[in-house]
Amino acid sequence: MSKAGVGDVAAVVEVARKDLLLELRSKEVVVATLFFSGMVLVILAFALGPDETALRNAAAGTLWTALAFAGVTSASQSYQSELDEGALEQLLLYPLPRATLFLGKLVANWLFMLVLSALLLPLSAAVFGASIAQHLPWLLLTVALGTFGFSLIATFYAALTANLRARESLLPVLIFPIIVPVILASVRASSEVMLLGNPAESRGWVQLLAGFDLVYLVVCTTIFPFVVEE
Amino acid sequence: MMTPITPAVELTGLARRYGAAYVLKNINLTVTPGRTLILRGGNGAGKTTLLRVLSTRLRPSRGSGRVLGFDLVREAHRVREHVAYLSVFGGAYGGLTARENLALAAKLYGKRGHTDGFLEHVGLHDARDKLVRTFSSGMKKRLGVARLLLADADLWLLDEPYAALDESGRELIDSLLVTAKDTGKTVLMASHELERSARFADRILDVRGGTLVVAPVPREVSRV
Amino acid sequence: MTYRTPKASSQPALRQPLWLRLLGLAALALLGVGVTLALFVSPADVNQGNLIRIMYAHVSVAWISFLAVFLTAVFGCLFLWQGRRVHDVWAVANAELALVFAALTLVGGMTYSRPTLNTWWTWDAKLTLTALMFALLVGYFIVRGLIDDPERRGRVSAVVSIIVLASLPFNYLAAEWFRTLHPAKSLALDGSGVTMDSSMVQVLLVNVAAAALLYLYFMLERVRLGRLEANLDEAQDTRSAGAPQEVIHV
Repeated sequence: MSKAGVGDVAAVVEVARKDLLLELRSKEVVVATLFFSGMVLVILAFALGPDETALRNAAAGTLWTALAFAGVTSASQSYQSELDEGALEQLLLYPLPRATLFLGKLVANWLFMLVLSALLLPLSAAVFGASIAQHLPWLLLTVALGTFGFSLIATFYAALTANLRARESLLPVLIFPIIVPVILASVRASSEVMLLGNPAESRGWVQLLAGFDLVYLVVCTTIFPFVVEE
Repeated sequence: MMTPITPAVELTGLARRYGAAYVLKNINLTVTPGRTLILRGGNGAGKTTLLRVLSTRLRPSRGSGRVLGFDLVREAHRVREHVAYLSVFGGAYGGLTARENLALAAKLYGKRGHTDGFLEHVGLHDARDKLVRTFSSGMKKRLGVARLLLADADLWLLDEPYAALDESGRELIDSLLVTAKDTGKTVLMASHELERSARFADRILDVRGGTLVVAPVPREVSRV
Repeated sequence: MTYRTPKASSQPALRQPLWLRLLGLAALALLGVGVTLALFVSPADVNQGNLIRIMYAHVSVAWISFLAVFLTAVFGCLFLWQGRRVHDVWAVANAELALVFAALTLVGGMTYSRPTLNTWWTWDAKLTLTALMFALLVGYFIVRGLIDDPERRGRVSAVVSIIVLASLPFNYLAAEWFRTLHPAKSLALDGSGVTMDSSMVQVLLVNVAAAALLYLYFMLERVRLGRLEANLDEAQDTRSAGAPQEVIHV
């Protein structure tokens, strides 16, 4: 891999910008994904309710369930636009380190998930009667780290399965066993904050998230070139 | 065979397989810079595979290859700096406009300056702010040509450049090939339309079942 | 220079060599000893009585399954680095054994928890970790099955095995903390602090050695078969790659 330069950072930004622009342009898909994750919340509320304490206790769990489903869909979607007109072929021919492509797609995916969480958080607060205003910065940190870890794995595996058969059903099967600690840590850390209003108790979980993000950022970026090599 | 200048393409025992079947078999080919070659052959003969191997998109299964002295596998990133590939589909994003696609390409190639001139050149000036999704396949091909020119590479790999184009589009490809010749670019092109392309070719290579055979250049079109 | 030099350096024997057969027999014998020790010689546990006898097999198998996953990733790295088919053969042999040993660990864990805790499944950290690892290994084999080209298959599965290995510590921590609400407090509760009688340690070590020997035997045998398979492919491959063609110079 050639050494990273200013040009590579610019390329990461360009790839991310392109992905976000494509995502915004396909409004139907974005709306469908948002609506889908909203529906997951509501269905889980019906499944768990109407007892208010039960709902409140389940708030963080349902939020992350909805995010996880939507995240897989969106990562898979971002490769669909690459495959449609042979664009991925071209993207891989630019004289850039392959890691820049991964990082670009990762950033786009992450930002999308952040927007999604920004919409789902108040919704889940309303439906499940959980409090998000208390210790909001700490909650946001948890969400940022959790969605980043999720996007890392989802983006990586979306690339890995991009030209395999049965891509859509394969993706969750591969992603979820890896993502267990992220989901678990995010749920626990956010429910500490949302239910008990006690950020100190969730510090361990947040550290776990940060460690996961750091390790996989390095690992995935390093081995990504082998994934797209044919 | 040793030549004082670095060959544009140098393939030694190169083979490439899909699954168990070999699409390219043990090819030995050396191309002097500045030459224009046509790869002729039926569907599935291996033309596109050869171009994709040269573009570094596909790794050789056996043997080795160099482009302008850079190894196709170990120095793939250097090869990519010198190669431009025009695919059958055009390889643009349907959800972006022609202009956005080209601006993205310019950034990723690390080029500065305006891209509108290239769009003008390929006749997409009026359609530059339309989404590529709404383009005909000929227009997508033109956009691909614009990106090819923008890349300013030394080795051009053209996959059926005349396909899907109207008469003015074909003339555009003609002029592209003349430009290539004038500026010393090396061109490898897969083409069915020999009557059109043969007059630009230094050699025609028949691709048959994954092997290469030098075909005689028809006399009346042998020299430009 | 070629990227994939055909490695005919040491052609594996078509028949199983004697030393490998002896290794198999030794593994079997040691397993017999281990089982006998576990069933008849080891004292019953103060708390768990005779159930502790399952532990000997369970723990040995579990340790080996993690070792196999680790080695799968190590050979995966070697394959990515050097591109030699033989490393992929070693990686697969380890991955298959990891899958089998993980399955045995799960079965053992369930057998253990049924009488002690009156349930087939407990969220014990190590058992949960093994279940996740099992799922990850299934994913590894699904991906392998979907790729035809042997080199790409080797590359992609090497990548997957590295991702899997990196996930284990995080999965372990998460599973460990999962049972308790608060991360920091659980560390001393996992039984590692419990002291074992020295006679039990000896029995455990014999069983671990037996499992390791069995694993070694199966791995070497699988690698032998895998290399024969690879050589067969290679020979066919060389034929279908065609004879050298004339050199075209233009």
